[in-house]
Amino acid sequence: MRKDRLGVRLSGRGGQGVMLAGAIFATAAMYDGRHVVETPTYGPEARLGATKVEIVLADEEIAFPAVDRADLLLCLSRDAYAKFGRAVAPGALIIVDETAVPLTADLPAGLVRLPLRATARDLGAEMVTNVVALGAICRLSEAVTASSLTAAVAEAVQGKGDLRELNARALAAGMRLGAPAA
Amino acid sequence: MDGMRLVMGNEAVALGALAAGCDFYAGYPITPASEILEGMARLLPPRGGVFLQMEDELGALAAVIGAAWGGARAMTATSGPGFSLMQEHIGYAAITQTPCVVVDVQRGGPSTGLPTLPAQGDAMQARWGTHGDRPAIVLTAASVRGAYEATIQAFTLAEAHRQPVVLLLDAVVAHMREPVDLPPPPAPSQRRPVRSPEPPFGEHPFTPFGAGRPIVVTGLSHDDEGLPRTGSARASERMLRATEARMAADPALAGLDRYRLDDAQVAIVSYGVTARVARAAIDTLRQAGLPVGGLELTVLWPFPEREVADLAARVDAILVPELNLGQMVLPVRAAVAGRCPVTSLGRADGTLFQPDEVAEAVRALPAGTAMGRDQRHA
Amino acid sequence: MPRIGDDLQRYLRTEMMPTVWCPGCGHGNIARAIASALEHGGYDPERVVLVGGIGCSGRTPFYFNTNAMHTTHGRALAFATGLKMARPDLKVVVVTGDGDALAIGGNHFIHAARRNLDVAVVLYNNSIYGMTGGQQAPTTPVGARSTTSLSGAIEPAFDAVELAMAAGATYVARTTTFDAQEMPVLIAEAIEHPGFALVEVLTQCPTYYGRLNRLGDAPEMLIWERDLTEPSPDPLTREQMAGGRRTGVFRREVRPEFTRSYAALCERLGAAADA
Repeated sequence: MRKDRLGVRLSGRGGQGVMLAGAIFATAAMYDGRHVVETPTYGPEARLGATKVEIVLADEEIAFPAVDRADLLLCLSRDAYAKFGRAVAPGALIIVDETAVPLTADLPAGLVRLPLRATARDLGAEMVTNVVALGAICRLSEAVTASSLTAAVAEAVQGKGDLRELNARALAAGMRLGAPAA
Repeated sequence: MDGMRLVMGNEAVALGALAAGCDFYAGYPITPASEILEGMARLLPPRGGVFLQMEDELGALAAVIGAAWGGARAMTATSGPGFSLMQEHIGYAAITQTPCVVVDVQRGGPSTGLPTLPAQGDAMQARWGTHGDRPAIVLTAASVRGAYEATIQAFTLAEAHRQPVVLLLDAVVAHMREPVDLPPPPAPSQRRPVRSPEPPFGEHPFTPFGAGRPIVVTGLSHDDEGLPRTGSARASERMLRATEARMAADPALAGLDRYRLDDAQVAIVSYGVTARVARAAIDTLRQAGLPVGGLELTVLWPFPEREVADLAARVDAILVPELNLGQMVLPVRAAVAGRCPVTSLGRADGTLFQPDEVAEAVRALPAGTAMGRDQRHA
Repeated sequence: MPRIGDDLQRYLRTEMMPTVWCPGCGHGNIARAIASALEHGGYDPERVVLVGGIGCSGRTPFYFNTNAMHTTHGRALAFATGLKMARPDLKVVVVTGDGDALAIGGNHFIHAARRNLDVAVVLYNNSIYGMTGGQQAPTTPVGARSTTSLSGAIEPAFDAVELAMAAGATYVARTTTFDAQEMPVLIAEAIEHPGFALVEVLTQCPTYYGRLNRLGDAPEMLIWERDLTEPSPDPLTREQMAGGRRTGVFRREVRPEFTRSYAALCERLGAAADA
């Protein structure tokens, strides 16, 4: 979903690495040469309950820096979906972890349920759920390029030897999850 | 895009301070300004600068002023409640002509208010918060790069006018990250005493202790020698007036950005994050064919009276959106002096204006309605 | 031992005299003792900063031909903290009153002591607010009269010595304006001491404290000071301190000093030796 201005909201429970995911995503967009403003939540609000980070991507300079109704929403937890699930623009892409939203008949049209946490667990570390999610977002939305995202993930785990390889595998797994009709 | 990286507004303030040669920081933790404190705690010690976490904000600005007289280029940062506590020392810095920088990342108030939510409620406190009269320099910024540059400018102006300079930010600008390419900061350098036969106060340049003869610094009205003696009340008033006149003549203090203003019939006067909302609203209105433009204040005080008066002579109406219940609208009204209607759009519930909200407010102005009708008839 | 009156002119700004202090006030004696102490140390007046707060004591810096800061009420130690951290090479002497240091400035007092910042604090304790006209201070003894405790104070008083010791001061002494020989010696020691040093000086305020409590004029109040206090062996033990208003040195110890600890931190983090 390439739009002139894309409002992205990544959300989850404190501790799921949502803030880091936001920083990586914004960095990837910057590498893509786009204008970007990232607004993390901080302090106690980033650690307790449902938390979010907002990123605006645009081709032009960004005046209004906030996201009102998101064009792209990620929810990694049930709380996050309850809190942010409805604040979306028409035609929004909503990517949720399968544990965040029960499978019911009346899910919104643009909602995609994925086993993000389970995939991370299979890789041996649920802490990389955020990077799995970024891979899936990249493939499903094409809001950032895979090469920039790969570089941004590498940048974020710079100097952390073991984590580098784990995060690369998480990103690849996420991209596979997001691939159309795998 | 080499060297581009995502930098948070508060981090940009810390980096701007280093770029300006800041070698002393004293502060106290407070949301949403703590990243400046933490940034300085990380950046200053390895560079040989002084970082000091004080016991309260009164102490923080006191330490900054003490350090300035020791020769440091010194700064503190806080938010509304801490800024209130600093007011007495802002007055002390003003009457002692001590160059220093105070950053206030505003938050909702009064009192503890809305610690994490944006507001612009300190515009008047920054001007009038201390007791007595003083000239004031108050800068603001609407972006990460803007915060960086305003911090550097704050140090330059503090030095040039021998006064405390306030940089007012809001929680949105302080916490957003934007890509910027900032040069590596220079090594810190302490201000050296200037050996001079001139008196240490009044219209003479600042020199810290060690200028070849002892200096007396006092918050009492004093003469140019720094002493409270007969005639010192007049001397202090003369100094304050001269400083104010010098500020008024300083081109660096004519801080304004104009956005699509040339042919505007309605103007939005705004500052800080609200200027960004206004831009988005202006774009929307322009798409609908309405000639609206923005006057963005980057220097709140001294207030750009003449520019606003000139604007009022050219437009049919002025809207002043602010994240408070109407503060900067007062000097706008005073400068406009009836030349056109001025409408305040205020909110203090910790939420940002939506661009549509500002656009609607423009449309609802009598001039805005007329403007829309003209457009339909055209 | 410093002698009194050798060449105090070097340290005094006589053009600012006579002082604002009332006839019989003890503050002038303390100021003179500070000048003697500076002379004893042979300090270059240009490398000394006298920092005062607000109140009668806070006026002291104006009478000194050193660098001087007359700051705000209670905050002298906070100004001094910034100054000393920025310029560890300067000798910083803080003059403060009992209201200044222990009421409005209590927070800065305990934190400067906690940091063991290398400053000498001379606390002029006249048991009352003089500058504002004789109101109750945190040092006004229970039962003593002031304009805000005409029936006698009911609040317990602070003991500045105990407070400073608990907060971590490394040199703590008490003397009186009666002890004219001892006073400059203790102040000289405090200035030389590498760390937070307090000398509390009991001083007479005949105008307010003396009159409200029928203690007579300055000479009678000096005798009152003598009788109120008890000189003690040096240094005192905790037990010896209890139960009286002892004078003398209560603590003299060396503990890491703040400007030096900070310099060590910078060095560890790779700062240039002379930044």
